[in-house]
Amino acid sequence: MPPAIINFSRHCNIVFYRALAGVKAESRQNYLGYFWYLLEPVLSTVILYLAFSKVMNRGGADYVMFLLVGLTTWQWYEGACLQAAVSLKAKLHILQHFDLPKFLFPLVSVLVSTWKFFCVTGVVVTSLMVIGHRPGLNYLSLPAIFGCELLLILSVAVPLAVIVTYVNDAMTLATSSFRILFFVSGIFFDTDKVPEAQRVWFYANPIAGIIESFRNVLLKDLPPNWPVLLRGAGQSAIILALGLWLCHHVNRRIMKHVAP
Amino acid sequence: MSHPEPVPLISLRHVGLAYANPLTRFAPAKDGRVHALHDVSFDVFEGDKLGIIGRNGSGKSTLMRILARIYDPDAGSVHFTRKIHLQMLSLGVGFEGTLTGRENAVLNGMLLGKSRAHMLGRLESIKEFSELGDFFEMPVATYSSGMVLRLGFSVAMETDPDVLLIDEVLGVGDASFARKSQDALVARFSSRLTVIMISHDPGVISKFCNRAVWIEQGRTKMDGLPVEVAAAYLQASNGG
Repeated sequence: MPPAIINFSRHCNIVFYRALAGVKAESRQNYLGYFWYLLEPVLSTVILYLAFSKVMNRGGADYVMFLLVGLTTWQWYEGACLQAAVSLKAKLHILQHFDLPKFLFPLVSVLVSTWKFFCVTGVVVTSLMVIGHRPGLNYLSLPAIFGCELLLILSVAVPLAVIVTYVNDAMTLATSSFRILFFVSGIFFDTDKVPEAQRVWFYANPIAGIIESFRNVLLKDLPPNWPVLLRGAGQSAIILALGLWLCHHVNRRIMKHVAP
Repeated sequence: MSHPEPVPLISLRHVGLAYANPLTRFAPAKDGRVHALHDVSFDVFEGDKLGIIGRNGSGKSTLMRILARIYDPDAGSVHFTRKIHLQMLSLGVGFEGTLTGRENAVLNGMLLGKSRAHMLGRLESIKEFSELGDFFEMPVATYSSGMVLRLGFSVAMETDPDVLLIDEVLGVGDASFARKSQDALVARFSSRLTVIMISHDPGVISKFCNRAVWIEQGRTKMDGLPVEVAAAYLQASNGG
């Protein structure tokens, strides 16, 4: 087998084993273990429901599911990116001893968050079926929406992990940016509430189109917003390529610059 | 008939490296950098047992990391004649507390450059050498520090590198395991394996190595037979 394939397979296995450790660690840190995966979006949903059901003049089970789908999608994005942002900095002691590609560490964080997202999404979809949302043909587009969000997460996570390792302030900036994005990504309001003139700005934030697409499929049996989704995927692919180049560029330099 | 000149496995020429100073990392001038190596040159031949000796802060560990390809040098060159698997003897680094000894053995072996299949095939030898017994199936978070070192050492002995890089460590664990681990390392010194060991103990270098390089303030001070290099180093250390 060519050495490149052997190395690729080794890197995949390292990511898998470290992600397995991450999943086990998360469950053992709390008494409620894996139950927190679901409890976290449910608690946020309850809070947002209480806060916004009056403002939006909406209520009932449908608004709960509307919020839950939005929050689950958002928490995967935010959780994966912010955990990945510190993943490289937290493992500098390992990188002092092993010659490893730097993108492996954000990948581990993204994989752990993705596992959580799958668990929660399984419960959300089951709940939707229980309250009468039958899966339609549009469910076939779910893997594509999932792929677009994963690409978006990786495009943020990989370069951010390198930047935060060099400049700690970038973490504060990232956290503040996510706080702002939370309010403008359509988590607790529908896209049609956004004035037509503002839509171009609204969709400039790729997670907004992804949240809308998940809701279209899961709650309305409509197709995803393909143009917005594909434009976001294209932008994410370009940024991810730049992020991977950055990782390659700093690979044997970063430890000289930020040695622990 | 003349013998052809042996080709070095690794060649270092005028290698220099400086660490960034966190306070002046983004300053336009690079004056704030901490120079660990200025000008280091030597060759490593296949099967060499090379000792690198020097005082604390002379740049030995930085040199080791350049050889392990963790840093690229800022100046000079490091040339590897062919693609080789270098391994630093880093015991227990990268272990995950929530994974079992068995899972960590595979993970650590992969971090050291081996494939998962290779490590799966060596698990029973690792379990036996480490003497961990049933603890091998327990999370590493339940291990004592000695047990972590035993597992780390046992994994390192099953990864078959082309070049082994040793930073002072010669034996780990309690008295009996320290003897056993030292014997295992001495066996590597007696084999055809290429070993590069750093130490500030001239006795260790003289005992185990066939060549020695003395590094002083980031520069190659002397390259030769261990007994001669050790004697010169001792004399300099004693102010002679």
